[in-house]
Amino acid sequence: MAAAHAEHLDHHGEHHGPPPPHYSSRVAPATLGMFLFIGSEIMLFGAFFTAYFFVRVANGTPWPTPPFELPIYVAFINTCILVTSSFTIHWSLQSIKKGNVWGLRAGLLLTFLMGLTFLISQVMEYLRIGFNTGDGAFPTIFFCLTGLHGAHVFVGLTILLFMTIRAFRGHFSAEHHHGVEIGGIYWHFVDVMWIVVYLTVYIL
Amino acid sequence: VRNPLRSEAEAFRFLIVVLGGAIVIAAAAYVNRWLGLVAAVLVIAWLVRWVRGGGE
Repeated sequence: MAAAHAEHLDHHGEHHGPPPPHYSSRVAPATLGMFLFIGSEIMLFGAFFTAYFFVRVANGTPWPTPPFELPIYVAFINTCILVTSSFTIHWSLQSIKKGNVWGLRAGLLLTFLMGLTFLISQVMEYLRIGFNTGDGAFPTIFFCLTGLHGAHVFVGLTILLFMTIRAFRGHFSAEHHHGVEIGGIYWHFVDVMWIVVYLTVYIL
Repeated sequence: VRNPLRSEAEAFRFLIVVLGGAIVIAAAAYVNRWLGLVAAVLVIAWLVRWVRGGGE
């Protein structure tokens, strides 16, 4: 903090520019921002899950409502792809911590490609599923929950794209890799949410 | 209380724990849907205990 403050003083000891920021938390501002963002996301998903439980438990809607069927096995393959992408992003961070830049680049690229595969596969699933939001409460909740998650995958992919571009431009090193750490936290959160969505919508 | 998203490593560990719980629930639901629901309640209770016990 003192060093940062010293940067704002010229050789006459006069202060220039804005005052140095004061951090009242032990958590880094960028990490704290991601925590708050994820906290708001948990509440958003909570609202949608509340609608799901209301429709299914309080309203007693059959799940899935006949004659509709859910593509459980396609979703299972998608789940495997998404969970594997968490392993690759973890590997990429471990690589850069050891100074392995190519490990970081390969890990991020693989994670991005797997996330993209997941999203494309979900769009294909929507096109072939055989029902739409206007067909009742079950399809509405199905599209809301899986669509909300899909939107999060899209945001995660955007973050991953920037991370990958930065990795190929050499912005990360063994000492400076906070951008990968934060993006990794978000990606794991998205994966955890998909596991919950998959269990509640497709399995139970 | 443990913050499961404190760092990337913690978040990855949390993902593995959730994945383990999900496999238990899916296996129980494969046998019987209601058994899956019971397993889900038990797994959630265990997860809450795991998160709460993290700081000790």
